[in-house]
Amino acid sequence: MNQIWIIAKLEMRRAFFSRRALWVYLLALFPAVLFFGHGISVQYRRSEYAGKPVTPAAVLDRIPVGTPDTEVLATAGQPITDRKWRRRDLDRRSLQYFDGSNRIWLEFENGALKSRNRRTLNSFDEDSKVYAGVFQFFYLRLAVFFGCLGIFINLFRGEMIDKSLHYWFLAPVRREILLLGKYCAGLIASAVIFGGGALLSFSALLSYQSSADLQGYLQTDAFYHGTWYILSAMLGCVGYGSVFLAAGLLLRNPIIPALVMLLWESINGFLPELLQKLSVLHYLQSICPVAPPLDPNVPPLMRMILAPAAPTSAWAAILGLLAVTALVLYAASRTVRRLEINYGTE
Amino acid sequence: MSDDQILFHNVSKFYGDVLGVNKVDLRIPPGITSLVGPNGSGKTTLMNLMTGLVHPGSGSISVRGVSPFAPEKLMRIVGYATQYDAAPRGVTGFGFVLAGLLLHGFPRAEAERRAALAIETVALTHASSRKIAAYSKGMRQRIRLAQAIAHEPEVLVLDEPLNGLDPLVRAETIALFRDYAARGRHVILSSHVLQEVDVFSDQVILIANGMIVAEGEIRNVRDEIHEHPSQFLLHCQQPSRVAALLFEQAEVLAVKIDPEGRGVLVTTRHRDAFAAAVQRIALSGIEIDGVLPMDENVDALYEYLIGGGK
Repeated sequence: MNQIWIIAKLEMRRAFFSRRALWVYLLALFPAVLFFGHGISVQYRRSEYAGKPVTPAAVLDRIPVGTPDTEVLATAGQPITDRKWRRRDLDRRSLQYFDGSNRIWLEFENGALKSRNRRTLNSFDEDSKVYAGVFQFFYLRLAVFFGCLGIFINLFRGEMIDKSLHYWFLAPVRREILLLGKYCAGLIASAVIFGGGALLSFSALLSYQSSADLQGYLQTDAFYHGTWYILSAMLGCVGYGSVFLAAGLLLRNPIIPALVMLLWESINGFLPELLQKLSVLHYLQSICPVAPPLDPNVPPLMRMILAPAAPTSAWAAILGLLAVTALVLYAASRTVRRLEINYGTE
Repeated sequence: MSDDQILFHNVSKFYGDVLGVNKVDLRIPPGITSLVGPNGSGKTTLMNLMTGLVHPGSGSISVRGVSPFAPEKLMRIVGYATQYDAAPRGVTGFGFVLAGLLLHGFPRAEAERRAALAIETVALTHASSRKIAAYSKGMRQRIRLAQAIAHEPEVLVLDEPLNGLDPLVRAETIALFRDYAARGRHVILSSHVLQEVDVFSDQVILIANGMIVAEGEIRNVRDEIHEHPSQFLLHCQQPSRVAALLFEQAEVLAVKIDPEGRGVLVTTRHRDAFAAAVQRIALSGIEIDGVLPMDENVDALYEYLIGGGK
């Protein structure tokens, strides 16, 4: 264990700050930037509407379709905006009201109320679902996937390119221990980067919610959801890390394992049940706390790719993922024992 | 298996279709042993094989009783300064040597002491805090040597260790090798210039095209030098007459007029007898301006043994 830790400490710098993998930070921070940006836009809208006249929603809801615009104005008062235009021989008018949290547009045709549209300044439920979608479809499938590719494949392949791998092989260390030490370095780096990225983006999601929504969420699911989001990002690093560490031992070109793995993860839903369990994403999807929104109109083929085929329980998923990781690391340790230094010059 | 020798038994190594070494049998006792051969002859392969960086396709290797397949044991007794002129990115000279010692399991304080000592031995203390990327080629050579000796290995393996060293450091490095050998340790080093290593080597292994051409103690190799034909140029004013006189000498194998008109080119196997003959000719009144050995260096033996140029 001591040797593993010494190797991990020596390798940590390369894992965190390899010039070849600095783009990993961009991937990890993207969702946080996205939600912080959205938060700023929500705050801006809130401040914009803070001084606007408030019309109770009940007043607006009571106005039946077909009511003349003059009567509506008399009932609901002056709107925030009043737009008139003519289209297809119809006089159109749109009155915007604000009920304190929603923007409501009353649409008129030839002076009679035709429909009403309501848009909230911000909906926590909606944001929560969007976050779940971003987390599963972008963060786990792409960011963690390619981030681990960048970090782990460099641990051996990068040293072969730099012609410095032999220094490790000339240390009095079993090759399997070396592999585990490097894996730990990569795992610590990727878990900090992507676990931190998940924490940051989750914080960004909460940062702009109304105090009522926030209090309600904090008292119910916030801790549970946050923990599982961070945990699933870290477990993604555990699984993908082992795969790409092994790939770095076997292949010169990182594009090949990336494409093969991406394809494997994508077609997972079509595979027999046993083979599905050899997928990292299969387990990660099972432990994500919120199901991402899937449009009912999504074709069945796409639905199979996006949704887990047969979700397992969280703890079974964790154990399954660890088992897959152990299997991959065992195969990698057998490879590293046979690995020779051949930088192409003799 | 012998616990104080390095043994190669029928070892072959191919890189795909390319021969590395072929059917090598070696028994290397402690002392300074030089592997000599031209570029691509298999010297580095032999060193990589004995340190486990590459694995033999067939045959077996033992380094003081330890298999190269057990790096956790082997690298405790072996230090290897490779020819690869690269170091981990961003690391200082001190950090580089220290990292190796930490991997050996030395406590940090002891590792720092040993690292400083090893760096001092190779005269790099002044540059130890600088990044290796900023080192000159000679300094990189020395810092690799420092890492190889820092844990005081019983077997020191050095690939072209004298390349890029200035004369003073070279002399100090050779003294270090001698000190190691005097303590019953192995110093295995490679060179493609026999002349460079024959002065201080106890043994020489000549290798060409992946095969051992000759091996043995350096004095035996030197004897072979004396036995193999040598060529001399006699500067003289009457080359035809000198050539005729030399033809009469039994110890002379061949005589020809130098095409550049400097005198006579003579090939002989017995230098002392040849010297006496030249003296007799000079005493007979024929003016000899000088005698110049044309191939009097150990490289000549090397060319002679491998049957080709370097």
